[in-house]
Amino acid sequence: MKKRRTVIASGIALIVGLVALEAQSQSQNPKTHKIGAILAMSGGASWYGTVMSQGIQQAVAEINARGGVNGMPLEAVIEDHKSGNAQEAVSAMNRLMSIHGVKMVMTSFTAPTQAIAPLADQNKVFLINGGGVSNSLVGVSKYIVHNRSLAADLGRGAALQAKALGAKKIAAIQWKNDAGDSIVKVVHPAWEKSGGSIAAVEAVPQGISNMDTQIAKIKASNPDAIMLWMFNPEVGLALKRIREFGMKQPVIGVEYTGNDAKVAGTHGEGYYFLNDYFQATADYPWSMSFAKGYEERYKAKPEFYAANYYEGVYVLAELIKRVAAKGGTVDGDTMRAALQANPKFDSVYGGQMNFQENGVASKKVGLFQVKDGQNQFIKYIDLN
Amino acid sequence: MDLLAQLLVNGLVNGSHYALLGLSFGLIFGPTRITHFAHGPLATLAAYVGWWAAQRGVPLELALLAGIGSGALIGILCYQYLYEPFERSGSPALVILIGSLGLYIVVENFIGAVFGTDTKVLPNPPSQVFLIGPVVITQVQAMQVFALISSAIALGLFLGKTRFGRAVLAMNDNIEMARVVGIDTDRIALLVFALGSAIAACAALLILMRDGASSHMGFNLVFMGFVAVVVGGIGSLRGAIAGGYALGLVESLGMWKIPSEWQSSIAFVVLFLVLLFRPQGLFAGRQ
Repeated sequence: MKKRRTVIASGIALIVGLVALEAQSQSQNPKTHKIGAILAMSGGASWYGTVMSQGIQQAVAEINARGGVNGMPLEAVIEDHKSGNAQEAVSAMNRLMSIHGVKMVMTSFTAPTQAIAPLADQNKVFLINGGGVSNSLVGVSKYIVHNRSLAADLGRGAALQAKALGAKKIAAIQWKNDAGDSIVKVVHPAWEKSGGSIAAVEAVPQGISNMDTQIAKIKASNPDAIMLWMFNPEVGLALKRIREFGMKQPVIGVEYTGNDAKVAGTHGEGYYFLNDYFQATADYPWSMSFAKGYEERYKAKPEFYAANYYEGVYVLAELIKRVAAKGGTVDGDTMRAALQANPKFDSVYGGQMNFQENGVASKKVGLFQVKDGQNQFIKYIDLN
Repeated sequence: MDLLAQLLVNGLVNGSHYALLGLSFGLIFGPTRITHFAHGPLATLAAYVGWWAAQRGVPLELALLAGIGSGALIGILCYQYLYEPFERSGSPALVILIGSLGLYIVVENFIGAVFGTDTKVLPNPPSQVFLIGPVVITQVQAMQVFALISSAIALGLFLGKTRFGRAVLAMNDNIEMARVVGIDTDRIALLVFALGSAIAACAALLILMRDGASSHMGFNLVFMGFVAVVVGGIGSLRGAIAGGYALGLVESLGMWKIPSEWQSSIAFVVLFLVLLFRPQGLFAGRQ
């Protein structure tokens, strides 16, 4: 028995040692440029992880088909934060750094990003966020940049639309988390300062399936417009219930994915929302080739989340090239310096995006309305 | 007053849903004493079968029946190939519980992997909305109430008037004595797994019609069923129904004055209070 235990223990030690050696060898003699990603690959929000990872994989495949970056292929290493679990995100980050030796990570969701930020700072890992929306993510790490508009900015745009529709009294249903709170914190005081009033604010936890109580209270408050400070798939559910409860007021929000449209069905008609303006259009050939490639690969139209993570890989590829051109090795410091030297990057949305000093890329934010089941672009919203 | 009336109706509808879940969970747990946590994801799988059938053009009624039927079959298979082997080998209850949790995780991830992680909706779900004064109730909500009432009546008649039903009650009271008097407890266990899983599938299909189905909806299905059973009293099916309604009404009416972000916590608070002051449940059944 004792001999058997010794053999097993030795075997485990040997395997661990081999894995550690391989990881060290990888980091010293990399065969690929490893891009880590920590996404919601399981759990209630796994839809996001699916579309984000699909965008990443498509970009990696395209770049590698053209010979990789400086002759070396990219490799995506995707980990799971289980739909926003901060502890899982930290474990995932540790695995990415210690086993895979990654120096750049694509992050998502607010809580996981906040959790891994100190690790990124300590280990000089460059972070790019294309999905997390809370304004608390700005500057959360010295190495983080964001290629999506943050929630409070979209919320401000939604409030502008409410004003444009003549609303004086708004009611809001918010996600009770950092994303929802960040919108309320910025938008509601500004709304009241401009002479409007807040009839009701009802909160729902992310992942809720029954918000009848909240909808009933919103109805009782009799607002001029209803604001949805929440994201997929609760947007679709809220829209459906709002209309089933007989409310006819305009509903304005900050997201509307294909999944929300499915849940809302015909009740989504007339809904206004703000989004990073991703529309595949002939004016921007890259957007068309991305959308075409995505549909061929995944048999579905790309969402803007897929677009963000797709273009995020291209941003990282460009930064690797710039760092190599200066003779440097990839880490948070060199990547940040390369970005700050020239913060403009081609965007799959069209034209270029410009990473501002706070790390947030200024992108075109569009106002859309659902008409005849389609998202119709209304106009650009200037948030400055 | 309009708001209060709407919250009352919401509470009764939600209570019907939780009572249905409590009934399904309690029907399995009472006679077998198996904490079947995989109950939720398995009911979700049954809902996905119904969705899959409807997507392929099967008329809605038949698709729903297919979902309920597959729920019953899944329940039978689950008992036969997971729990019964554990019981035959004399495994302690904790091992069976862990097995159930393992199945929970496997099934939930299986659904996401095979069907995708997006929300599934029916092509043409029932969509009528009824106005009773200031109160709104949708067609699916009315169906939820009807499902609970009809299931409760049918189950009551089955348990009270049939040989198999009385055998279920006997097992519920004392499983050892039931064996002594010659009841085939394995066969009855299969029966309650079939019935309980079919009822849970019904609840899951109603959620599919109301909100759409998602791979992770199993947690709420099993958790609310479990809480309804504990609140109502373990071993009492009447208690499971009462527990479900208590949860639904407290969750809804409690939000009249309390901020609604506390809604999800209400179930835990009710469970905690019951365990603290009346651990045997509101309708004390078997201890």
